[in-house]
Amino acid sequence: MNVATPHAPSQARGLVARFDALLGRAVSMRAFALLRVLAGPVVLLHLRPFLADGIDGRVYRDAFYEPYATWYPELPDALYVGLLWVAAVAAVAMSLGFLTRLATATTFAIVTYNLFLSTTHFHNNRAYLVIVLAMLAVAPCGRELSLDAWIRRRRGLPALDPSAPAWPLWLLRFECAAIYGASGLSKLLDPDWFGGTVTWQRVTRAEDELQAWPLPDWALSLLTDRGFHTGAAKFIVLTELFIAAGLWWRGTRYAAVWVAVVFHLSIEVSASVQVFSYLALAVLVIWAVPSTRDRVLRIDSAQVPQRRLGVLVHRLDWLARFRVEPAPPGSPLEVLDRDGTVIRGAPALAFTLSRLPLTAWFALPTLLLPAVRRARRQRSDERAMIAARPT
Amino acid sequence: MVGRRVVVVAVVVLQLGLIARGYWADHKEFAFQMFPESSTWRADVVRVTADGRRVPVEQPWSGYRWDELVQSRGLSYPSVRHHADAGLANQLAFLEAALDWVAGNTPRDRETRYLEAKVTSWHNADPPRVGVLRSRIREGAG
Repeated sequence: MNVATPHAPSQARGLVARFDALLGRAVSMRAFALLRVLAGPVVLLHLRPFLADGIDGRVYRDAFYEPYATWYPELPDALYVGLLWVAAVAAVAMSLGFLTRLATATTFAIVTYNLFLSTTHFHNNRAYLVIVLAMLAVAPCGRELSLDAWIRRRRGLPALDPSAPAWPLWLLRFECAAIYGASGLSKLLDPDWFGGTVTWQRVTRAEDELQAWPLPDWALSLLTDRGFHTGAAKFIVLTELFIAAGLWWRGTRYAAVWVAVVFHLSIEVSASVQVFSYLALAVLVIWAVPSTRDRVLRIDSAQVPQRRLGVLVHRLDWLARFRVEPAPPGSPLEVLDRDGTVIRGAPALAFTLSRLPLTAWFALPTLLLPAVRRARRQRSDERAMIAARPT
Repeated sequence: MVGRRVVVVAVVVLQLGLIARGYWADHKEFAFQMFPESSTWRADVVRVTADGRRVPVEQPWSGYRWDELVQSRGLSYPSVRHHADAGLANQLAFLEAALDWVAGNTPRDRETRYLEAKVTSWHNADPPRVGVLRSRIREGAG
């Protein structure tokens, strides 16, 4: 008999308990609220061709389509087009955060219904959109950045708790990483892809279009060189896999997000992927640590540059990273990080900008500058020394 | 708490299952295989009439036009060599379904018995392969 056997049930119970705690832990829904705001325009972009057809009096079944199942309900033309318009209105309401739960659920239901009407409707970007809308529909993401919250304030009602169980966040993070992982893995396992044949053929077939781009001759000949693609394909595959794995660890997360932004912008300019790039870029906000106002930015308002930074943070801190507090006159700019690290001066500016969604991509590389690294490390060392002192 | 756990595990298992399914299914829903192939294809699609004639679908018939009947998934002009956006298997599955749909949704056409596509496909850098796809037989033709 295995001596470990009596412990196995309790170990399993412990694991399940930890899993439950992870899923049930109350976390900030701020990132979901921001994603909800960003998802509305993406839904409108997605619906645009269907709505344009509807305006022209056409619907999907006027031409070849292939239902997934014979039992799947199909609506009369006018009702179907009307439903699409309801989805568009719901998407706007979702973005604005007006009757958020209802608007988000309606948007999800109609976009999903439309997707499964025909196999011809299916594209990866639409599948991702359905996943994102599903997660937004189950998460209470209308308590911030919403008209609903504003209306509550106007009525003098107390604000609703902006935190909620973490399970939708974990699920969406899983889906987000799974998409990069699945894409990278499928290429890794395909010798034609990993060996560069696929990208080389795609580029050489599009050579005429490439020549219309403002590219120097050497770049053109590089892009159409077979040997270049032998390496480039591996780089692409490893990039996707790095994003998929790198997003999970704090040490690599910012690098993975930075790479993902470049990756999606590159795809957007080089291929037609419908709403995929916009959606994937928007979803990256869910990788922010789900807690808010846990960093303090101390600003001396008498100093114009600091005052301007305060205004910038007030306008662009969409993930509510910072609590802005006044600093004594003559103080340098100061950031107190959530772990107690204090950064001052230019490194504090770089750090602050690296935590705002719109400036993060530009500012993150500056965190690698020796002066910034030194400032952050020095403060960490000081904290370690203080902590080591006998009390 | 149990419900939450079940939902999360179910979604994760389902997603992983769909990713795995993408390696053998023609339609790879939720498998997220992006830009999977550089494969190309072209097809000569004809209507085979009850009296044995083979009429290219590029010629309008009974008030129908192929490019009006089949507008999506890069199937409007099958005689032109195209990239198979979501892979060759996916593309040919759509072409086969399109043949069936046209056969079943052209009631004014009383002469076509079935539609047939002679498909030439190039899987990535492999040599071309030729195959034939046919729609279902239309009852009452001729």
